[in-house]
Amino acid sequence: MTEAAAVFADLARVLDAMGPALVPSGSDGLLTRITEAARELFGAEACSLALLTDDSSELVFTTASGTGADSIVDLRIPSTQGIAGWVVMTEQPISVTDLAQDARFSSGIAASTGYVPRAILAVPVASPRRLLGVIEVLDRDASRPGAEQDMRLLQLFADQAASAIESTRVFSDLGRAVLGAVAAHPGSDLAEALAAARDAAERADNDGADEHGTDDNGDDDNGDDDDDGAATSHRADLVELATLFAQLDQLGARERRLAVDLLKVLVRDRGGRGPRAT
Amino acid sequence: MRSIRPLLRGEALTRDWAWGGGTGAGVDVAVIDSGIEAGHPMVGGVASAVALSFDRAAATGVRYLEGPHEDLFGHGTACAGIIRTVAPDCRLHSIRVLGERLTGKGLVFAAGLEWAIEHGMRVVNLSLSTGREDYFGTFHALADRAYFAGVMLVAAVNNVPSPSYPSQFASVFSVAAHQRHDPLGYDYNPAPPVELGAPGIEVTVAWKGGGTVVSTGNSFAAPHIAGLIARLLSKHPELTPFQVKTVLHSLADNSSP
Repeated sequence: MTEAAAVFADLARVLDAMGPALVPSGSDGLLTRITEAARELFGAEACSLALLTDDSSELVFTTASGTGADSIVDLRIPSTQGIAGWVVMTEQPISVTDLAQDARFSSGIAASTGYVPRAILAVPVASPRRLLGVIEVLDRDASRPGAEQDMRLLQLFADQAASAIESTRVFSDLGRAVLGAVAAHPGSDLAEALAAARDAAERADNDGADEHGTDDNGDDDNGDDDDDGAATSHRADLVELATLFAQLDQLGARERRLAVDLLKVLVRDRGGRGPRAT
Repeated sequence: MRSIRPLLRGEALTRDWAWGGGTGAGVDVAVIDSGIEAGHPMVGGVASAVALSFDRAAATGVRYLEGPHEDLFGHGTACAGIIRTVAPDCRLHSIRVLGERLTGKGLVFAAGLEWAIEHGMRVVNLSLSTGREDYFGTFHALADRAYFAGVMLVAAVNNVPSPSYPSQFASVFSVAAHQRHDPLGYDYNPAPPVELGAPGIEVTVAWKGGGTVVSTGNSFAAPHIAGLIARLLSKHPELTPFQVKTVLHSLADNSSP
């Protein structure tokens, strides 16, 4: 192995291990605009977005606008607690008023931000493939005309946020699949490394397909919130996709363009059926 | 072919016929949720309780623990309180699938639904859903099993056209919140997939620790319909899911003769 290849393999190993910390920030601006727009539209005190960690154990507030925004960003709470936990568990939108009666709803957030909301409206943020998190609006103006549609409207904002997050994550997942393959097979070229990674992922998939929770590879790092069988299968698909990209790259410019066109048609067709995308 | 009894023969289909004087007595109603606080004054006791949780070591990935349990975050108690208000004498059963951890939720949720079908429940309140496409087939099969077993699945719907299982399946009673507050009032939506509208906006619901909160969500519309079906079944236990839908369709607030 050349020195450069060794450095690259080390780098790939480090980056693969870092995982979600590497999610590109491409959607940050859009997510910030979504929370700002929601807060303004609802005449609310604050609006925030919290995303599930890869193991689904916690919600991390990633984006916020309004009162307490600075102190809530990066705050982590268990995904089974509070209004946000309620929303991610039931996957149902909820609105609660008179929160002051029951400090359990908001005490964690209140303690961190110094702001105690009286009312919260919260809806799930989900793509067709996975649950991503929750978006919350604090103390909206419920007396303004049309306020009865707020829950439906906020769900539309949440779907926009989900689209932004998913499109960013697809690329980062793909990148992680490539990095993971290189890290696991140092010294081989990219196509070989990807082929080996795909075989390994398929083996793991077959082992784990029949029984839930028996594929004991500890590999729960792709953000899948439910079962490991689907997670492994997803990883195998990604590695395969990356493999095809690597092979295409060697074929030539015309083939690359043809492949891109085919993918565009597929995405368009699929987009029409994608429930969150409509 | 064995003869069957038509829903009505020479009788008028009225609310009095359907659930007048019905209390839900003798009807088993399951709440698949975060548990039920049995001692809450709005709940008035539960007939049975089972807690399901994700367990890698178990053959099916799910561990079952029968016996009294607490509500882990209040949601199930809120739903149970509404069912009790509408059908005061029904037998409430708590099937807890939420609250311990999020991992394995779809699997545990499906197992809870299967438990309800296998343990003689007639009405199952589902103020929860999953949007995971991986679970389409699992829940579809369970919804069919429930239908043929005469089990009424009452599910809160999402507010937007996104996948939501099992609430989007045709055999399920799917419910959204409407603006009115009459606990026995409901609408039939002529434009599916959402079939029914019931109170769910600014509803005072039971909460952990014996208290109440004011809350809004389709989560609270579904148990109104679950309670109403329990009342109907306490008078007419022989009804099948499609007959119950026929009755609800005919007697809705927005149904004009």
